[in-house]
Amino acid sequence: MTESLPHGDTPHEGHVIKLTGVNRTFDSEPPVHALRDVNMTIRRGEHLSIVGPSGSGKSTLLNILGLLDRPSSGDYWLDGVKTGALADRQRTALRGSRIGFVFQSFHLLPYRTVEENVMLAELYRKPRPGRRRRNRGERARAALDRVGLSHRHGFKPDRLSGGERQRVAIARALMSEPALLLCDEPTGNLDSENTLSVLELFDQLCAQGLTLAVITHDDAVSRRASRRVRIRDGRLSQEVA
Amino acid sequence: MKSRHRTAAPDLGPAASRQEQLIRPQRSRRPWLRSAEGHDKGVERPWISPRDLWAEALSGVLARPVRSALTTLGTVLGIGTLVITIGVASTAANQIVGRFDALTATSVSVVVPPPPPSSDALPLVDWQGIDAVDRLAGVESSAALAESDKTAAVQVRANDVVTPGGVSGQTLAVVAASSSLPAAVRGDVTAGRFYDTGDIDRHDRVAVLGDQAAHLLGIKGVEDAPAVFFDGHSFTVIGILGRFEREQRLSTSVILPPTTAKDRLGLDLVNRVLINTSLGAAQQVARQSPTALSPNNAKALTVLAPPDLSKARKGVQGDVNGLFLVLGLVSLIVGAIGIANVTLVTVMERVGEIGLRRALGASRRQIAGQFLMESTTIGLLGGVIGAALGMVVVVSVSALKDWTPVLDGRLALGAPVAGALVGLLAGVYPSLRASRMEPVEALRAPS
Repeated sequence: MTESLPHGDTPHEGHVIKLTGVNRTFDSEPPVHALRDVNMTIRRGEHLSIVGPSGSGKSTLLNILGLLDRPSSGDYWLDGVKTGALADRQRTALRGSRIGFVFQSFHLLPYRTVEENVMLAELYRKPRPGRRRRNRGERARAALDRVGLSHRHGFKPDRLSGGERQRVAIARALMSEPALLLCDEPTGNLDSENTLSVLELFDQLCAQGLTLAVITHDDAVSRRASRRVRIRDGRLSQEVA
Repeated sequence: MKSRHRTAAPDLGPAASRQEQLIRPQRSRRPWLRSAEGHDKGVERPWISPRDLWAEALSGVLARPVRSALTTLGTVLGIGTLVITIGVASTAANQIVGRFDALTATSVSVVVPPPPPSSDALPLVDWQGIDAVDRLAGVESSAALAESDKTAAVQVRANDVVTPGGVSGQTLAVVAASSSLPAAVRGDVTAGRFYDTGDIDRHDRVAVLGDQAAHLLGIKGVEDAPAVFFDGHSFTVIGILGRFEREQRLSTSVILPPTTAKDRLGLDLVNRVLINTSLGAAQQVARQSPTALSPNNAKALTVLAPPDLSKARKGVQGDVNGLFLVLGLVSLIVGAIGIANVTLVTVMERVGEIGLRRALGASRRQIAGQFLMESTTIGLLGGVIGAALGMVVVVSVSALKDWTPVLDGRLALGAPVAGALVGLLAGVYPSLRASRMEPVEALRAPS
């Protein structure tokens, strides 16, 4: 089912994300220009942070990056796929296979064990070769081990601390081997100690070659990134780390 | 890991994708491919294994066991009422209908009253009358029978010798019957033969004994032409008629040809006509035979026909069913509304979860499918429990009333299916609501 794109259309091989001239306006009265001419690339293996105050267009950018929203104009390539012309179902599938989401509020299912929560990531796709349904539990446990939760197998989320919950969410995002880990205020609900542990986990994952995009308003969080992008009034500006 | 996403023959490029479309023309009919300017997007389609869908739905139901249990109640009541109603009705109907077997269902008899004594009128039905009955559609056999009080108890002896102190003979009934009697009583001539029209026409002094009568008289066969004596006449026994299925009392009778009976005993008036019909024709034959037998005096004849089977059954079921069927259906509708309500509440409570699933790659259809499956599961559960309870009640009622419980297998299997269907219908609106949620909005909800 998976076919590659013609090479001519592909942006540079190393780019996981490429935005060119992206605008997003909301049809309200008066129209809200949430993103203005955004150009951005995220290279493979990069740890990028997008910083900005609330109302700056962060969420809009995140929604577009996460294929939850479409730009009003401009092009968005995700992992070499030009997403503008895709139908809803294809965007959904692309979202499920290429992007691992980490949310501020974790979004774990309270009545399922942590393994089951992690396994959800593989639910909505055909099993790939070597990733059989039968072994899904093993892979979930491996993902949990990877985020340092070996001792929490079989737990329900309500018995975990905030930091541990976020780690479960990260394990779930890692489960689908995404091209990009898209984190929306990942430490917004955590105390400083838990924040630290999650940030250290990010560093480790980054060192393993994972591509990370962290959207935050917290400078302490953004300082960990290898590259920082600031967003204000819908415009991006590059910052040197 | 970096090259994982472009494993599928990248060097074939656009040629491969064009070929792909040629081999699978049905894909190109999908609108998104037309709008995709001929690019293959390297994107899988959303897919979920049926087992996973079922597991997700089941865990959704089991996550709130008390709520789910309460939600099933409406369906349990509805399906239970329906099963009880239909089960008890069919059990009761079977009790009534069970008494009618094929024999009684096809037996019609016509009772012929004696002609008014004042006039010298002809008998209402003469011996040739049954020929007209035989011509009626649905009549398989018929016979006329003449009995009288005078000949109901006749001293019959098997020989003419009177032994002092011995039993001088047997008291038996003497009847006259048309030659078609063996077929009409569904009996067998166990020895010899039955008299035929020739015997009748010749006024032969012959008799056929019912098997019990023959036994009582000590006559075992007809090879040596035994005779019976009564009323000062002797008759040659030419046959023994046995294995009566109708008119069993004829087995203790002496049966004479009508002409002979008239000559010797004055037994002439046909007072009964026995008719056998094919299955289902009894009602019609019963209506028509009086006219056929006695066109001028049809009203004077009394027809004994089996009650109409289908009417009997319908009557019973109609009585029992009407009200309770309505009750059951109303409960089902209430149950469906309950399921719809609770599923809708569940959807609203799980907005965050829906958003998450969409983020994980669930399509709208998969979201709708999951909630539809959950409501169907609840309906199915209600159907199974309702059907089981209903059957227990039917069996208990039958046990109390000493009835044989009768339950249609299709009912037992159909009830859970009906429950599932109720759940499915009830889930349509909530799951549409769930599938229409925008992931962006849904993710904003607290999980």
